[in-house]
Amino acid sequence: MYVIVVYDVDVKRVAKVHRFLRTHLHWRQNSVFEGELTRAQLYEIKKTLEDLIEEEDSVLIYELPGSNFTLHVLGTDRNPVGEII
Amino acid sequence: MKRPVYITQMGMLERRGNTLFFENENGKKAIPVNSTSEVHCFKPVTLTSGAIKLLSEKNVPVHFYNKYGYYRGSYMPAEGQVSGSVIIRQAEHYLDGEKRLHIAKQLVEGIKASMLALLKSYRADASSIECIPVDGESPAELMGVESTLWKEFYGIFGSLLKNFEFRERSRRPPKDEVNAMISYGNSVLYAVALSEVRKTYLHPAISFLHEPLERRYSLALDLSDIFKPLTVFRVILRLVNRGKIGEEHFGRDVGVMLNREGLKVFLPELNGELERKVLHPKLKRNVSIRYLIRLEGYSLVKHLLGDRTYTSLRAWW
Repeated sequence: MYVIVVYDVDVKRVAKVHRFLRTHLHWRQNSVFEGELTRAQLYEIKKTLEDLIEEEDSVLIYELPGSNFTLHVLGTDRNPVGEII
Repeated sequence: MKRPVYITQMGMLERRGNTLFFENENGKKAIPVNSTSEVHCFKPVTLTSGAIKLLSEKNVPVHFYNKYGYYRGSYMPAEGQVSGSVIIRQAEHYLDGEKRLHIAKQLVEGIKASMLALLKSYRADASSIECIPVDGESPAELMGVESTLWKEFYGIFGSLLKNFEFRERSRRPPKDEVNAMISYGNSVLYAVALSEVRKTYLHPAISFLHEPLERRYSLALDLSDIFKPLTVFRVILRLVNRGKIGEEHFGRDVGVMLNREGLKVFLPELNGELERKVLHPKLKRNVSIRYLIRLEGYSLVKHLLGDRTYTSLRAWW
């Protein structure tokens, strides 16, 4: 499944969340990650994030039915997602 | 689902913060290592020991190619499926002439079926391939049948191409654009087949149609041949006939090679074809073509262990 993860966590934990998410997903822009995941990976991400964050933090995970969605970019696309470097 | 990463510029792969980073003078980019199936390097790439450690832990192989797209070698994580009894059976089936002939014949039948499947989907006249009998007394004779099949196939394939000329296969280095794409495609497919064979119990160096050569994983050659018409050649036909790839995507010196822009067009299309899902009649679910390569491996294992006779893939889509 294709997911988009956005988070709003306390500055003390921002780096931790960022460092963890980038081992599974593509960094899109500040506090936004996206990428293709398996069910097991999503489960692992949820579990780990629950341990990392505190009560007042917020993480949203959007599960998309497929990767065929339209993206509208205004301004610059900081880090386009692609398998080709 | 894990995806491959293709690197088309020079640089260095290193470990930082538990993930891989690709870095060069143009900047750095994080590679989500947990979502990566393998890394393909088309330009010189340096791996740090930290990167190798991480790649081993996550079981991600790295494949290297030269500038014409020929496979140069791989970094393979030590982890893998090991089963002594399967390897012994595999060797036994190689050594026993009759047993080997059966598997080799199946492999050639599979190649023929794939060629016909592709040509039929383009409504080409494939009767000249259909009438070639797959028969032989030895694997060498079957290799002869295979090369006749390919020769016929190249001829019909060339006539289907609308923009580029393709007369004959030339290698090391490829002489024209179509040959360049075939070389790149075949090498990537070989590396993918190798990655998939490593997930089964089979030993990648003991092959049945090709002779097991030194320094080459010839079982990956055996299996990737079946999938060449279905993936590499289909992608080339599509890209050329729809005008998605043109002269500007190639570089030229002694031979012809895809440049960076060309790779950016060619590789995603090939990967898309490998990830394309088809309904499997026996498993009754959609499986990717890439996974079908591994399924070929599994049915070989079953054959070697005497559970079920091996019949190679007959492309049905």
